[in-house]
Amino acid sequence: MNNSLTTQERRTLETRSKSSFAMMIKIIILGLMNALAIWAVLVLFQDQQYGMLTALVVGSLVIDYIYISDRVYSWRFILPGTIFLALMVIYPIVFTIYVAFTNYGTGHLLSKAMAIEQYTSRYMLREDFPIYDVEVFKDESEDFAFLLTDSEGRQLVAVEGKAVLLENTSLQPVDADADGVYDRLGDYERQSTLSIFPYLNKLQKLSFEHEGLELKMRSPQEFGYYSRRYQYDPAWDVITDFETETDYYAQDGNFISKNQDVLDIGFKTTVGWRNFKNLFTDRRYLEPFVRVFIWTIMFALLSVAETFVLGLLLAVLLNDPKVKLRGLYRSILIIPYAMPAVITCLIWRGLFSTETGIINNILLLPLFGKAIPWFQDPFWAKVAVLIVNLWLGYPYMMLICTGALQSIPGELYEAAMVDGATGWRKFQTITFPLLLSQLTPLLISCFAYNFNNLNVIYLVTKGRPAIAGAITPTGATDILISYTYRMAFESGSGGDYGLAAAVSLIIFFIISGITMLNFKYLRAFEEVPQYD
Amino acid sequence: MKRFALLTLCLLVVLGTVLPVFASEEGKLLIWACPLRSSVMKELGNEFTTKYKVPVEVQEINFEDIRDQLGVAGPTGKGPDILIGPHDWLGQLIVNGLIEPLDLGKKEKDFSPVAISAFTWGKELYGVPYAIECIGLAYNKKLVPKAPKTWDQLISTGKKISDKAQQRWGFVVQQPDPYHSFAVMSAGGAYVFGKNPDGTLNPNDIGLNTLGGVRGAQLFRDLIEAEIMPLGVDFNTMTTLFKEGKVGMVLTGPWSFDSFREAGVDYGFAPIPTVDGKKPRPFVGVQGFMVSSFSKNKLLAKAFLDEYVITKETMIALYKKGARPPVYLPALKEVKDSDTKAVYQSASEGIPMPSIPEMNSVWSAWSNAIELILNGKLSSQQAMDEAVGQIRTAIEQSRKK
Repeated sequence: MNNSLTTQERRTLETRSKSSFAMMIKIIILGLMNALAIWAVLVLFQDQQYGMLTALVVGSLVIDYIYISDRVYSWRFILPGTIFLALMVIYPIVFTIYVAFTNYGTGHLLSKAMAIEQYTSRYMLREDFPIYDVEVFKDESEDFAFLLTDSEGRQLVAVEGKAVLLENTSLQPVDADADGVYDRLGDYERQSTLSIFPYLNKLQKLSFEHEGLELKMRSPQEFGYYSRRYQYDPAWDVITDFETETDYYAQDGNFISKNQDVLDIGFKTTVGWRNFKNLFTDRRYLEPFVRVFIWTIMFALLSVAETFVLGLLLAVLLNDPKVKLRGLYRSILIIPYAMPAVITCLIWRGLFSTETGIINNILLLPLFGKAIPWFQDPFWAKVAVLIVNLWLGYPYMMLICTGALQSIPGELYEAAMVDGATGWRKFQTITFPLLLSQLTPLLISCFAYNFNNLNVIYLVTKGRPAIAGAITPTGATDILISYTYRMAFESGSGGDYGLAAAVSLIIFFIISGITMLNFKYLRAFEEVPQYD
Repeated sequence: MKRFALLTLCLLVVLGTVLPVFASEEGKLLIWACPLRSSVMKELGNEFTTKYKVPVEVQEINFEDIRDQLGVAGPTGKGPDILIGPHDWLGQLIVNGLIEPLDLGKKEKDFSPVAISAFTWGKELYGVPYAIECIGLAYNKKLVPKAPKTWDQLISTGKKISDKAQQRWGFVVQQPDPYHSFAVMSAGGAYVFGKNPDGTLNPNDIGLNTLGGVRGAQLFRDLIEAEIMPLGVDFNTMTTLFKEGKVGMVLTGPWSFDSFREAGVDYGFAPIPTVDGKKPRPFVGVQGFMVSSFSKNKLLAKAFLDEYVITKETMIALYKKGARPPVYLPALKEVKDSDTKAVYQSASEGIPMPSIPEMNSVWSAWSNAIELILNGKLSSQQAMDEAVGQIRTAIEQSRKK
């Protein structure tokens, strides 16, 4: 009987016959995820993030379909990875690309709608009109009435959106216990200042019309006349400031008047290629950029080279069976790798300190009679950074070299010995080429890592010392990423995320190039002859 | 079909448990404070809750993160109602549309004028100030029995103490740090930004490379050449040196007092010595409360500040935890401590740190210049000229947007 079933049918049968317990678990997990998604949808709806909302809904439906339907079986294994790829890699890249084409940064943080709302929600206190002292009264249904008294003794009653002279209203204050303080105002009962605090949110929304103006609560003790400070006219895209009676037109992310006065709050807007154009056409940006670029490549290359050489040396030495206590040495040499890099960097910073550091005071001054200005001289600052990076990086190289060394078959060395090769010759013709072919991809990824090694630069030198003659604040040890960081957070008036995103994109393309190179190498390695 | 029924059921159950998470925050005050101030704010918040029946939550956020976090959390409605920070955040917070103008009414008169002017932007007040700080000359009484009154005295006292071989120094200022250097530069008339006729700062008028600025920066280089001051000392090293009695005088502010006291150093605090007979005018920093423009409880937040924070009791409680002189005058009168009085004295003669966002480019270019001068790479005139050039470029660039 079974033979007559197609593969597809058999698989479906097997799936169905699987314990319903697994199915239950699957459905519970899916249910939980959907519940979470619905909650997130509500939050996103509240925040008016409609793009994200759509993506979330579509994404959840696709997930449900894939895990419930049998038709797209194979997708069940690919999907989780794909989702994380989209969230962690593709989304940030897309966002960075978007930011690179905006003026996002200090002064241009809010969207235009939000910036306009900031203006239009502002009221100004009309100081040309009286300020009233207020007595607050509340009835049983938690509605409020206010008795207002100005400095000349004129009294108003504010209730139900209107303020009228005390004489003209049926609500009359009553002082039942005759202590000079009104206990009631009509049906409303007197409230102490203390007791109205929990109601202030309600009270801040109340406004009372009086003689064409709005009376609002200024503080728990006072009322004042308010009018709107700004008005936005979408037809002309203009904000009018009623206090100065000036029109401000929306232009390049700011509201600017005819006299070139700029309103404080600007907004985020797209600016086309401007950030890139600035970078490549303005000498003041280009010069430091090129300078930093060259040092970045040098830094990454030298870091890889020095750590590899030291790591390889140690690995080869410790691979020799004649060395005693190899395990102990290895463990000790791994320590820098196990310490948090942040702490290590800060310790090195202290060691290098020109006047108080140990390196100058204990090593260099007594031995050579000369101190090195580690962080003051561009050359020595670069050396210092490289030394710290050597310390941080060699254990990794030692580890991978040790691993790779152990995978080289011993017969090769035996054969070489038969041929009468010396130790150096063996290293030169067997160890090194075999190691290199195995480790090149790792060296390339190490290069890419150091290319973006913000930690070491920022913690050891902060990119300093300053370059004399540079126009933008750039330091001699700044690499592209720290230069970008300083641009994003320390530029002109705070942060220029747009420009920084443009630089990040350029870095991204460089790193992609390196990665591509890496892949090319990887493929080449498939043809390396196998010895076992 | 059964599956979907089941699925939907699960979903509803879970939804029921998750939903309460988004209760509105209306009617509850959320305050952001840095770890230094959060404990006293929590105490005050509890007291306020008991008295006024309004819940107050204090969220502890790292000092350096508050300003940036507000820009992220505020617009999405997750920010605080009130934040505590220094007045020099004002510019960035305002142009980003993150804080709200305040109206103190009659109470404005009860504050030190320098504190009010620090929190004023244009014509509007954007914060309730509560403490003031500025730097002065802290000296180790064992090494320096009497605080020098003039810069020449400082040099001669410093020379007596300094001994490079022993790693002992006469004087230290943390480097490269324009904030501390400015005091000495300002004596000769240096300023960061000049003023417009209406009293606001004019970012096109930069006065750091004026005679006084150049001379002030050079004075520090001279101290290094005379081996009175070590090169490349940061705040931590400076503190350690002072605590170990290895330096006679340092430029620092009230933030150092606690650690000096703990180390048992008998220190004094005096105004910075005069330069060429002129008084230095150090930067003044003012701490205060600001109200987020995305708060749903603006009236409540303002009433909290007005009714509860601006009282002698609260201001004194804040003073006791922070050790900075209060700027609310009724509270200041109660303060007896001599260090505090010395700081207030120094501060009332100082200049509020400019709060316009353009200061960002000023700090980095200026500290580069100081670094180049101290390292002897450039003359002070050249370095300051270059810094001013950099600042102009940066400001011009940020205007282009």
